[in-house]
Amino acid sequence: MTALKLKNLVKRYGDFTAVSDLSLEVPTGSIYGFLGPNGAGKTTTIRMILDIVKPSTGDITILGADSAMDVRNRIGYLPEEKGLYKKMKAWAIIAYFARLKGMPSSEAKTRAFELLERYGLGDFANAKVETLSKGMGQKVQVLASIAHRPDFVILDEPFSGLDPSNQQVMEQVISDLNKEGATIIFSTHVMSHAERICDRILLIASAKKVFDGTVQEAKDLLPPRVRVTGDFSAAQLIELPSVNDCNVDEDGMLNIDISNGCTPQQLMSECFDAQLTLESFEYRQPDLHDVFLHLVGEEAKVATLR
Amino acid sequence: MNNSFIIAGREYADNARTKGFWINLLMFPIILVASIKVPQLLEEKAIPTRDYILIDQSGELGDVVQLAVDRQYAAKVAEALSSYYMANAKGGVGKEIDLEKMPSGGLDGMMSDFLEQDPGALDSLMQPGAIDSAVAMMQLGLNDDAPEFVAPRRPFSKVDVPTSIISAAELGTMDSGEIVSRLRPYLLGDKYLTTDENKLFAVIIIPQGAAAQVKRGGAAGLIQQLDEKDGVQFWAKNLADMSLSRAISSALNEHLRTNEYQRLGVDEEIVSQVKSTQMLFTSFDPSKDEGEEKVSMADTIRQFAPLGFVYMMWIAIFTVVNMLLNNTIEEKSNRIIEVLLSSATPWEIMSGKLIGIAGVGMTMMVGWVASMIGVLMYMAGPQVEWASTLLEVISNSGLLPLFGLYYMCGYLIYSGLFLAIGSLCSTIKESQNFMGTATVILMVPLMTMVFVARDPNGTLAQVLTWIPLYTPFVMMNRAAADPPAFDMWGSAILMLVTIVTMLWVSSRIFRIGILRTGQPPKLVELFKSLTRSLKNQ
Repeated sequence: MTALKLKNLVKRYGDFTAVSDLSLEVPTGSIYGFLGPNGAGKTTTIRMILDIVKPSTGDITILGADSAMDVRNRIGYLPEEKGLYKKMKAWAIIAYFARLKGMPSSEAKTRAFELLERYGLGDFANAKVETLSKGMGQKVQVLASIAHRPDFVILDEPFSGLDPSNQQVMEQVISDLNKEGATIIFSTHVMSHAERICDRILLIASAKKVFDGTVQEAKDLLPPRVRVTGDFSAAQLIELPSVNDCNVDEDGMLNIDISNGCTPQQLMSECFDAQLTLESFEYRQPDLHDVFLHLVGEEAKVATLR
Repeated sequence: MNNSFIIAGREYADNARTKGFWINLLMFPIILVASIKVPQLLEEKAIPTRDYILIDQSGELGDVVQLAVDRQYAAKVAEALSSYYMANAKGGVGKEIDLEKMPSGGLDGMMSDFLEQDPGALDSLMQPGAIDSAVAMMQLGLNDDAPEFVAPRRPFSKVDVPTSIISAAELGTMDSGEIVSRLRPYLLGDKYLTTDENKLFAVIIIPQGAAAQVKRGGAAGLIQQLDEKDGVQFWAKNLADMSLSRAISSALNEHLRTNEYQRLGVDEEIVSQVKSTQMLFTSFDPSKDEGEEKVSMADTIRQFAPLGFVYMMWIAIFTVVNMLLNNTIEEKSNRIIEVLLSSATPWEIMSGKLIGIAGVGMTMMVGWVASMIGVLMYMAGPQVEWASTLLEVISNSGLLPLFGLYYMCGYLIYSGLFLAIGSLCSTIKESQNFMGTATVILMVPLMTMVFVARDPNGTLAQVLTWIPLYTPFVMMNRAAADPPAFDMWGSAILMLVTIVTMLWVSSRIFRIGILRTGQPPKLVELFKSLTRSLKNQ
């Protein structure tokens, strides 16, 4: 089952191309991470999915409909820039957005209190939004976007501006939603969140899709990393058969790129044979952060400088 | 459409809950009550009895001056007596003044007309005990619970020159310049004559031979050489209160003329008879039914009552469209609009806002009108003559429904405009640039208001009528003057067309502007994107 299908999506603003030829399938019930540097086109893509802006060309099918507007009551959306009506009470704002999504007034109110209670804001249900801290306000907004029990939730940068404990609450919210059967798309800069939560990720850079697949598939793009220290130089290591390349990183450790078909065990025994004394030996799988930098490193830097 | 009403409900609650809204709502009746009560209080309490000194060296004119002051007071007493009677008469005579019958000058006008014809008419009221016996005479016709009649205070009271300043012997012969120089500190308020620190209001000096200082009309007057210091002198620092000086000078002239008639051998009786004759002169209104063409007090007020409505409408409209502007910018600047857009169509959002704010405006309007009618009903009576007149005019003239109608139209025109501005600006500051121009346009109906009321079917009124932005205000202003049917219906149609166009264009701009960030677009840019969005339809 596919909850969302994007086909050759393009968005141009005059001469500027914000999204270029993007195709994607999001399976029902999955958690999909949209990753990419600033200005890559994540928010534009999300706005097109929601039918807030119209794509220049390409097709979108969401929950079986051609336009999100037709199924808007089944969609929840948290925009990137957070804001709420300052003068409204926390529960009222959640109930208001739930009602706009078709929930009856009394049910919306009960639901608002229930959500605030569940995610630790029960004491602030009757507080005006302007009196809440930024993090609390953001939690209220997240709750407002999911109060109507959507089947499809789109969260644009849900973690930004939250302290670590609230980030954990946010992760909890996402996994709770997923358990209830919702399909979730969220965009983020923070790779550790994506790695922990996502089933699949989409990586966009400079308006183009760079990668689309499971987290494991992404990690497999890079070989495992070995880092060592000892009383030897990089040049001595390169002579070993299992070492393809070696260089010194910022911490003064030697980063080793293992030759194809070789294992860390092989490398270690070769070190013994060559009588190189190892002080530390670290072997680990690449994480998403490495993959991200590997895939969009250069473009990310350019984008940041721009 | 359901979403429109949910949005409207939130807009209404959000704005109706603000302090500003309640201040607005309550200020109006408070100001209204104050504008009625404060002058009354001032009349009763704040203006003190004013002391004056009368130095008569001529031995002739002093009595005339004193009589003038007394008569002025008598008129005041008479007025108070008649109001008292009207307010407390059995069967409530006072509450049922027939404004359609009352001459356009009102009660004050009737009294002054009466006194002009016969200045001595009220002299009997000046007799000791006269007021009491007048009240006793009324007693039969009064309600049982009528309060006791309290005579108004004398506005002016005569004091003698203390002998410590000028001795009685000197008083009769002292040069007027010397008198003034001795009394000057008292006139200027540096010193007080009495211990209660009541300022000396005026000094009236009548030098010897002042009676002979007569200005003559005709050729004889041109060669006259008169010194002002030889005539009657009125010294006062307060130039604003002229009632005393006017009363004295007219009494003196009256006295002089009577003497002249005598000198010329004309019978005084005949003169006073001649003076009280009057031509029959009445203002008529050609538009009224036969037999009722006389221009009454009610007509005068009916002519000018729309001014109040125009002013009220202006304030109400710009209060609420500003709410609309601020709300739109708030939603834009904190990106709530994105969530809204994922839940409702731009049209639903816009119409929701329009309906919600219209509700706020309506609440304010109904509150104002209701409190106005309430205050007027409470206040109405002979004491506050205009309040009862206004009440009568409001309830009978059909201005109220017209007001509601024009208010709605004005609101729709300007709300469209402000919504479009709001959707194009990301911050209040940016919107100020637009507001500068908008304010200039908006000021026009306010600045021309009085001129239109004065000549409701004149050129200015007609030109402004056909500018749809001003139609609601100007037509409201003209409403009482029976504007030509062509003006009325023509401008109404033009206005409706404008409203529809305005809202349609605004909804386009709203759609385009609402997701924009950064600087508001240039006019050309805006036009381009408007036409582009049309092609896409």
